[in-house]
Amino acid sequence: MIRVENLAITFGTGRNAVQAVRGVSFHVKEGESFGLVGESGSGKSTVLRAIAGLHSHWTGRIEVDGVALGPKRPRAFRKLLQMVFQDPYGSLHPRHTVDHILKEPLAIHGFGDREARILKALDEVGLGAEFRFRYPHQLSGGQRQRIAIARALILEPRVVVLDEPTSALDVSVQAEILNLLAQLRKEHGLTYIMVSHNLAVVAHQCERIAVMNRGNFVEQMTDRQLRTGTPTHGYTRQLLVASKGFDRDAIAGFVEFE
Amino acid sequence: MSDKATTVPAAAKQGLKAWLLSNSPGSMAHARCQRMYLNWLVFSANPIAMAGLLIIGALVLGATFAPLLTSGDGIEQHLADRLQPPSAEHWFGTDELGRDVYERIIWGSRITLYIVGLVGIIVAPLGLIIGIIAGYVGGWVDNVLMRVTDIFLAFPRLILALAFVAALGPGLENAVFAIAITTWSPFARIARAETLTIRKSEFIMAAQVQGASTTRILLSHIMPLCASSIIVRLTLDMAGIILVAAGLGFLGLGAQPPLPEWGAMISTGRQFLIDQWWVPTIPGIAILVVSMGFNLLGDGLRDVLDPRSGH
Amino acid sequence: MAGDALLVVEDLRVSFDTPKGVVEAVRGIDFELGQERLGIVGESGSGKSQTGRAILRLISGNGRIAAKRMEFDGIDLLNASERRMRSIRGNRISMIMQDPQYSLNPVMTVGTQIAEAYRVHSKAGKREAKERALAMLETVRIREPEKVYNLYPHEVSGGMGQRIMIAMMLIPDPDLLIADEPTSALDVTVQLQVLALLDDMVRQRGMGLILISHDLNLVASFCDRVLVMYGGRIMETLDAKALHEARHPYTRGLLNCLPQLDGSHGELPVLKRDPAWLEAGGGAP
Repeated sequence: MIRVENLAITFGTGRNAVQAVRGVSFHVKEGESFGLVGESGSGKSTVLRAIAGLHSHWTGRIEVDGVALGPKRPRAFRKLLQMVFQDPYGSLHPRHTVDHILKEPLAIHGFGDREARILKALDEVGLGAEFRFRYPHQLSGGQRQRIAIARALILEPRVVVLDEPTSALDVSVQAEILNLLAQLRKEHGLTYIMVSHNLAVVAHQCERIAVMNRGNFVEQMTDRQLRTGTPTHGYTRQLLVASKGFDRDAIAGFVEFE
Repeated sequence: MSDKATTVPAAAKQGLKAWLLSNSPGSMAHARCQRMYLNWLVFSANPIAMAGLLIIGALVLGATFAPLLTSGDGIEQHLADRLQPPSAEHWFGTDELGRDVYERIIWGSRITLYIVGLVGIIVAPLGLIIGIIAGYVGGWVDNVLMRVTDIFLAFPRLILALAFVAALGPGLENAVFAIAITTWSPFARIARAETLTIRKSEFIMAAQVQGASTTRILLSHIMPLCASSIIVRLTLDMAGIILVAAGLGFLGLGAQPPLPEWGAMISTGRQFLIDQWWVPTIPGIAILVVSMGFNLLGDGLRDVLDPRSGH
Repeated sequence: MAGDALLVVEDLRVSFDTPKGVVEAVRGIDFELGQERLGIVGESGSGKSQTGRAILRLISGNGRIAAKRMEFDGIDLLNASERRMRSIRGNRISMIMQDPQYSLNPVMTVGTQIAEAYRVHSKAGKREAKERALAMLETVRIREPEKVYNLYPHEVSGGMGQRIMIAMMLIPDPDLLIADEPTSALDVTVQLQVLALLDDMVRQRGMGLILISHDLNLVASFCDRVLVMYGGRIMETLDAKALHEARHPYTRGLLNCLPQLDGSHGELPVLKRDPAWLEAGGGAP
């Protein structure tokens, strides 16, 4: 479904140039859930944004559903791939009601039947019609993220890329949203690429995982490999240990990976 | 908004108030009414803002109901009654041509309102649109638009207004045009600065991922967020606009006699300042009060509309 | 669990006046702190941050603090004058906050800020303050302290910023440190390194530490005791080692809803909020 080859992204020019992504390659099958894990500055969000069409200066090859993509995305692409962002407090326009937020993509792409689609979208994410005319500041974090998911799904895409979808949420709300995401993927046969710094979230949600550090893929593994605790690269092992909590002796052994 | 903190209602909410404060609006109109009501609650809690609103309200009412509030039109001359001090018959006295100063102030408020209204309608949208285009599109468009803005910004306001009026001839409309020309630049800068910040928000990225056109993003996403700063800046600038208009009027380049424009009244009345103080002073006070009213109103609006103040 | 309690809090209540009514952020909590590490864990809206701020009387304008008792080392914090509080803040009780990008002054170099923190509570001159600041930078394991001294907050990474914050807050040698989500904005490996630093500092100086966080596992692995807060109340007080024997349904619910690293994909048990938890003494075992 998605094939990325040698994707490289550089920000800035000349002396200030920063290589955010240094040539990564991976593929995702249809219906699969692929996870990208890394710490800040690893380039994971940049990869996602390039795939979603938010960056235009990349080199390499990105193919979605068999079609190689250029720097600009055609209209039809938007109905194929949609994105859910990290910050539920920032990804909804503060002055738009929920109704407006959900109606906009329909208006852009000329969908009919808007009333029915909006109500259905709200229902799918577990919100009732009473949320329809609220403003984002009248919603809790979990509710906002549900709206963001509804917005992503209202165009009926086949691929959804998610940039840290639960990082800004309370742990109990995170569980609800993760369950919702898993359920929606099953119901609609969606393909997911999920980015997170939280190894446990990615391990739970994804069938295959890639670990990134400083713009490179450090290793790619399957969920089974993670389950049996057999990552091969030192960076991944360090990340695994760190995710388990405070352990004084283990911390003493932390190193910087280039 | 936290689900878990406990809210204790101050009193039982029923009827209209419940409709306005309910958590689940039933339609866009309902949602908008709610927002306006909540904004009003914040605004009305600020006594200074309310004072400003009162003053401007009085200005608008005075202008609207001028025929009802006065017996004349402020223009007819009664030379026999010239330079009378304030009394029961002439509340603010009469000027050098026997015209009731109170009536001229009331009729003059129409001119003041006309000037600020017309200037406001021209400069706010103009500055807003130029600013958001420059801020969002960037590149050479931004450069060109900002250099144009800089050129207008570089001239001292009154001087440039004078130059325009001198070129176009004296008169109220020309004065309005000249003031507008010199006032729009800061609005473009404000709109551009806000746009530069908003442009990086995730909701803009979300709109881009959905395939929204640049026009849609500018009009539907960015403009509503810049509008509040523009409105606040406009009300705070009103005082300046009034003063420039008064200055032009003072120099005889704005409204022409016998129109009761406040600045012109000061100009023609200034020779009487010592012995018949009411002739130039009353219009001066009117200008002061209205300017202050706009300033207070602008401050109050900023507290309500500023997204950073936590509403 | 020390014999001599450093901090005693009894029936602390924090409320805010809002246009929509009174919001009670903290609704009657009791706890004591000795020379130990106490973790306060809760989700957003649980009142944990407000608790930390209330101790230092740093609640914003429209908020009110009330308590039966709020004592630090025999000093009545509730009724102390503002002047007394100023001599306590940063001097005997310090606080570090979440994001150094926002809690450090962006227009001063970091070194100047640390030196200033020292001079506020001592009579030291500029040169002595600078030397102390440099020494402190070394203590928080920053290499090249002279170079870092002259950097501005936006020029340092998150982890380094927090170390600087720690240096600033510990330079006056306080007895109690309140850390409000000190590592939430950091990468997980950096988080642990910063906590290890805090661990050392607290041990070396015999300080009490209150660690406020939403991360139950992290707090339980680092602290000695844990308070679990929900809806402005304490649901449960536990020994950190006994976390997995927690009895309150809220704590159990929080533990259960975390995704595990073992790669299982099952549906996560969702926390069912019992309204009884919001009642006084609700469900507390």
